[in-house]
Amino acid sequence: MKFKTPILPGRLAALLLALLPLAARAAGELNLFGWSEYVPQPVLDGFTRETGIKVNFETYSSNEEMLAKLVAGGGRYDLVQPSDYTAEAMIRRKLLQPLDRARLTGLGNLAPAFNGRAHDPEGRYTVPYMSGSVGIVVNTEKVKVPVRGYRDVFQAAFRDRIVVVNDSRELVSWALYALGLPVNTIDAASLARARPLLAEWIKLVKVFDSDSPKTALLNGDVDLGVVWSGEAAILWRENRKFQYVLPAEGAHQFVDVLAIPAGARNVTEAHRFIDYILRPEVSRQISAAFPYTNPNLAARRLLTPDELANPASYPKGGKLESFRDIGRAAADIDRLVTDLKSAK
Amino acid sequence: MAAPRTPQLPPAAGPRLLAAGLRGWTALVLVFLYLPVLVLVAYSFNAARLGVGWEGFSGRWYAELLAQAPLQRAALNSLVVATATTLLSVVLGTLGAWLLHRHRFPGRDLLEALVNLPMVMPEILLGISLLVLFALVGVGLGFTTVVIGHVTFSFPFVLVAVRARLQGLDPALEEAARDLGATPWGAFRLVILPALRPAILAGGLMAFLLSWDELIVTYFTASAASATLPLKVFGLAKVGLNPVLNALSALFLLVAITGVAFSAYLRRSAR
Amino acid sequence: MPGARPGALAWLLLTPLLAWLALFVVLPALLLLGCSLGERDEFGQVLWGFSLENYARLLDPVYLGIFLRSLGFAALTTALCLLIGYPVAYHLARAAPRVRELLLLLVMVPFWTSFLVRTYAWMAILREEGLLNALVAWLQPAWAPLGLLYTPAAVVTGLVYSYLPFLILPVYASVEKLDGALIEAAHDLGAGPWRVFPAVILPLTLPGIAAGVTLVFVPAVAMFAVTDLLGGARVPLLGNVIQNQFLQARDWPFGAALGVALLALFLVSQLGLRALRPRGALRG
Repeated sequence: MKFKTPILPGRLAALLLALLPLAARAAGELNLFGWSEYVPQPVLDGFTRETGIKVNFETYSSNEEMLAKLVAGGGRYDLVQPSDYTAEAMIRRKLLQPLDRARLTGLGNLAPAFNGRAHDPEGRYTVPYMSGSVGIVVNTEKVKVPVRGYRDVFQAAFRDRIVVVNDSRELVSWALYALGLPVNTIDAASLARARPLLAEWIKLVKVFDSDSPKTALLNGDVDLGVVWSGEAAILWRENRKFQYVLPAEGAHQFVDVLAIPAGARNVTEAHRFIDYILRPEVSRQISAAFPYTNPNLAARRLLTPDELANPASYPKGGKLESFRDIGRAAADIDRLVTDLKSAK
Repeated sequence: MAAPRTPQLPPAAGPRLLAAGLRGWTALVLVFLYLPVLVLVAYSFNAARLGVGWEGFSGRWYAELLAQAPLQRAALNSLVVATATTLLSVVLGTLGAWLLHRHRFPGRDLLEALVNLPMVMPEILLGISLLVLFALVGVGLGFTTVVIGHVTFSFPFVLVAVRARLQGLDPALEEAARDLGATPWGAFRLVILPALRPAILAGGLMAFLLSWDELIVTYFTASAASATLPLKVFGLAKVGLNPVLNALSALFLLVAITGVAFSAYLRRSAR
Repeated sequence: MPGARPGALAWLLLTPLLAWLALFVVLPALLLLGCSLGERDEFGQVLWGFSLENYARLLDPVYLGIFLRSLGFAALTTALCLLIGYPVAYHLARAAPRVRELLLLLVMVPFWTSFLVRTYAWMAILREEGLLNALVAWLQPAWAPLGLLYTPAAVVTGLVYSYLPFLILPVYASVEKLDGALIEAAHDLGAGPWRVFPAVILPLTLPGIAAGVTLVFVPAVAMFAVTDLLGGARVPLLGNVIQNQFLQARDWPFGAALGVALLALFLVSQLGLRALRPRGALRG
């Protein structure tokens, strides 16, 4: 692997030069708040080796966990890694600060499809990190009938053979897709229509697991499920019998982004880190550790044919849609799912 | 050391049968306790990356473990936090138990009920409310805040264990010491404390285990530099790096068993 | 002597405990109370105010059912821990003084491993192609495979495993101080073990049993991670529901109300038990 020396844009170079006598090493710190293990250690080490900037990597395992610590604990972070619909709410609440796009030389590496998305139409606040979908994974040694959509998964024949992510909004959105209802405008009427269908589905599920849904599939405790595409990609990598299918009725696509919280202290370092991530050779390392969909086209060119062939990482076709922030409706959704699980 | 003990007479047939039964039962329970542990030690030598079927013997997870600096750092942090928590909990719990046992004052019942409150407080509530509190006061997150959180849910365990032993400790013991001219502190140190030793040991062990394995309160009170092992372990488990975690656990077991064996050796040679 | 009014020194010694309770237990509990009376904003965080709406929701049969189910799981776990753990604690505490504490440490060694790793090991034992089912298939092929993992039985197994030390330790501490002579005397008077236990040993170790039961039952009510992993998160329990209000549902005030209800229930039951119990009844 070749490493090019970074070409700093004029403004950044000037700024760095101006800061140099003030704080030669003291400026070199970055408080990164990201998903557990989502930024591979070699990437962090490489960044520090090259820039001398020390990275304090603190982790969380859900968007709400991050929000709780960021908002209640006062912002001491320089860079966060929310999912798109959480970033949308954070922008509205003025929790993020605009990026200086001139400092991000690698923006051109991104696939056009990842620019100007609904959560941040002008790309002023966020830069895509990785992307993925929520779809169906099937153990083709056990399931011999074709499975194309949610209704094919949730049928009586598969009772107690199904794993799904333990996420109320996902569950409800599958029922909404199956009914042909919108997933981003949720009200009492649409929840009432989803309820009977979801009640049937929840009875069939053996395991609800958001953290590692692949485990139950690998262990042979279940035969199919609806899971994060990254989990399905790891399963496919392990054994080709695990096939990934984007549900015909429609599926959720998420983009995890990098963004700088309002009040961050090390803004320069944060920009440098984002730009470092945008480099194809770096982004490629992330793909290797996390086989999600890489939004960085230049990095995709560096992937092996095997990585590119992974149907969960780079699915063909399918109707993909972003989640929008639904604000207070999140509580109604959770209540519905708690209710239905209790009724089992 | 321990309270005076009467030499035991050779037991009769009934008690002997009972003793055999108890020994058998204890052995069975030990099998139950060690069963998952043996499984994870076996898996730590399994070549399979996702750790499901047996794919042959391999030591590579131990090698990978050595290369994981953040994991080692987190383990060290956990050890520091658990040790500090245990010490503080033992002091707070033992002192509290003795004072609550010894004295009667208005509001004592309420105080005793309050002491037990952190045990029932769901971790997420304790974690978030402490986070809000620290932010209000302006205390930065770090080792201190983690230890504060851990002591808060650990010391009641010490207190309850010590209190149980105090109930039924012969009050004449302390009176006798006082009659012989000991100060209240002297009586506590020379008579009560030795009698409490097993309960303090039990309480301290509980505090250590609780702190060692706590996740949620730690998440809300730790900074990047003070992140403990459970935080790291939960993160790693999501990626499916279980074999390395098994190897780590097996190493800790080795350390613990060595510690027990060492203390057995010390006792033997001290005799 | 117990029952003396505290002097100046005692108050001084009591200060750290009082300060700790005030700062890190009472204050957070009051914060929760305030939070539970508020309303949620779009992030689920608190808009301070005064409304009892969140408490009204607690009376919803769904949440009442979850409360009862959680208490049931905790009670079953406690009963099993007591049945399994008491004889072990007794045996350890009556062992020769030299090996007593070593045996106790040996019981604790498995808990040096991470909870998550231990639970994964249990999953490897209980899963369909796991060790236990391999044994079943060998002994009685017609029964295999048993669906063990992701059932309430698996949850209870995991809970009992996790909480057993918290019963064994306090009971051990209380059996350890039993006067051997007392038991010998009872035996010499012709009492068999079946008479000695309820007449002598049980009453004397009651404080240890009470402590152990408290230390298992109380935290088990709000336990969450074991139930998710071994039970497949199929049945909501109190710990998960509270956790969800903060980490999924974005409804901090309702999560706080659930927590306050749990704390209040606990305080009232503690004070009630104390009021019912004649003074000194538990003293040996």
